[in-house]
Amino acid sequence: MKKEILHYFRERFGIPPSCFQTFSLYAASRGRIYVGPETTIPRPEPVSVGILAARTGNAIKPTTAILQLLGRHATRNIVRISRKDAEKFAGGQDLKAGETEATEGYVLVSYQDTPLGCGFLKGGTVRSMIPKAKRLQLKFL
Amino acid sequence: MSTMVTGIPKVFRQRYASLVDDPEAFFSCLGSMQPRSFRVNTLKSGRKHVVERFEGYGFEIKQVPWYRDAFVSAEPDVGSTLEHFTGEIYMQELVSMLPPVVLRKDLMKAKNVLDGCAAPGSKATQMAAIMGNMGLIVANDVSYSRIKALKFNQEKTGAANMVITNLDLRNFPQHNFDIVLLDAPCSAEGTIRKSCGISEMWSERHIKKLSSLQKQLIVKAFDLMSPGGLMVYSTCTFAPEENESVVNHLVEKRPARLEEIDVPGFRLSDPLQEWRGETFSEKIKNCIRVWPHHNNTGGFFMARVGK
Ligand SMILES: C[S@@+](CC[C@H](N)C(=O)[O-])C[C@H]1O[C@@H](n2cnc3c(N)ncnc32)[C@H](O)[C@@H]1O
Repeated sequence: MKKEILHYFRERFGIPPSCFQTFSLYAASRGRIYVGPETTIPRPEPVSVGILAARTGNAIKPTTAILQLLGRHATRNIVRISRKDAEKFAGGQDLKAGETEATEGYVLVSYQDTPLGCGFLKGGTVRSMIPKAKRLQLKFL
Repeated sequence: MSTMVTGIPKVFRQRYASLVDDPEAFFSCLGSMQPRSFRVNTLKSGRKHVVERFEGYGFEIKQVPWYRDAFVSAEPDVGSTLEHFTGEIYMQELVSMLPPVVLRKDLMKAKNVLDGCAAPGSKATQMAAIMGNMGLIVANDVSYSRIKALKFNQEKTGAANMVITNLDLRNFPQHNFDIVLLDAPCSAEGTIRKSCGISEMWSERHIKKLSSLQKQLIVKAFDLMSPGGLMVYSTCTFAPEENESVVNHLVEKRPARLEEIDVPGFRLSDPLQEWRGETFSEKIKNCIRVWPHHNNTGGFFMARVGK
């Protein structure tokens, strides 16, 4: 599992495994993978360990949390968007992809070199994968 | 603003008028607005980058002299910036940043840290940033609903070196932590400015109840430290029952060493030596108080305890 996840981030985004070096990966229920501290305590059992990095199942789906944290190391499948679109994306709206080298599937959406989060690219549209609670009406960007 | 001041109960005024150096400045400060503050989350960004962006927005921000990553700003829209959305900044009261600041050097070396009362995670995520996401932070809180906010802030700041536990700290299994932060539940008198008035819960009876809980928590927190370990006990309240009296209880029960606290560029005040007939141990002298009118902040109390 660990190998698969590291492989995924390298292949899909060009994020090198060394970015995960000081962490451990933890598998939780329903295919969730967390990036957490290298070691943890046995007792009491934590209610959660680290931050949710991906959901696995038919496909691997990266989270906005991990892409915001490590996205600066990404080299591919990045959709760079305009200011207007960044506003929309942060608010949870879908975007027109425009010219992009990214292939269909999960992408890193980025604005002026700042990783904004996870999007899903299909048929020329980028769906905002920003969780509802994290959406924000941006006034300054 | 004066309406807020008159909202302060008489008992409260009587309690503190005799303790503070300048009661008039103190009470008038409590009735005034507190400047907004935030810190740069170094797990995701850097000071230079944030300063440049905020200047680009036309925001006036001022770095505080005692913590490079902390800024104050009169700007009401800090919460609507891209940097807030991405978690590159974290909005936090200045005094709330003090415990990680006085532990900074120790945190950089620490392998495992316990934040005993961690939700919503302002200090825990700040400690994660200081530790560069290395080592382990166990962020514990008794309240499941507050843990949701802690989890949210953890994800937002990218504090991946943190695990969350949900226990009454008094029931936490025996452990040896290098560093323990006990930011205790308190009557929060020091946050009057932010909350625009004193809590409806406020009463001397409530303070007594909290004091007895804090005394249990501080002894437990001490027992969870490794030999050679460190603890910071903190509250955001003025009540001596929740501050000096609690630390005094610890030094009576355990061989605790009280260490000096210094925050260059920030005005700290001495603790009380006695309160309502209770005289405190000499050791208590190393605790510090923060009065709001000295630095234009909220109120705070801290003790740095060695084992
Ligand atoms: C002052 S707040 C902590 C603020 C936090 N340290 C921060 O910086 O964001 C105190 C916390 O203590 C928790 N608490 C109260 N009694 C507790 C207990 N017996 N064990 C653990 N946590 C407790 C409360 O749920 C509350 O979240």
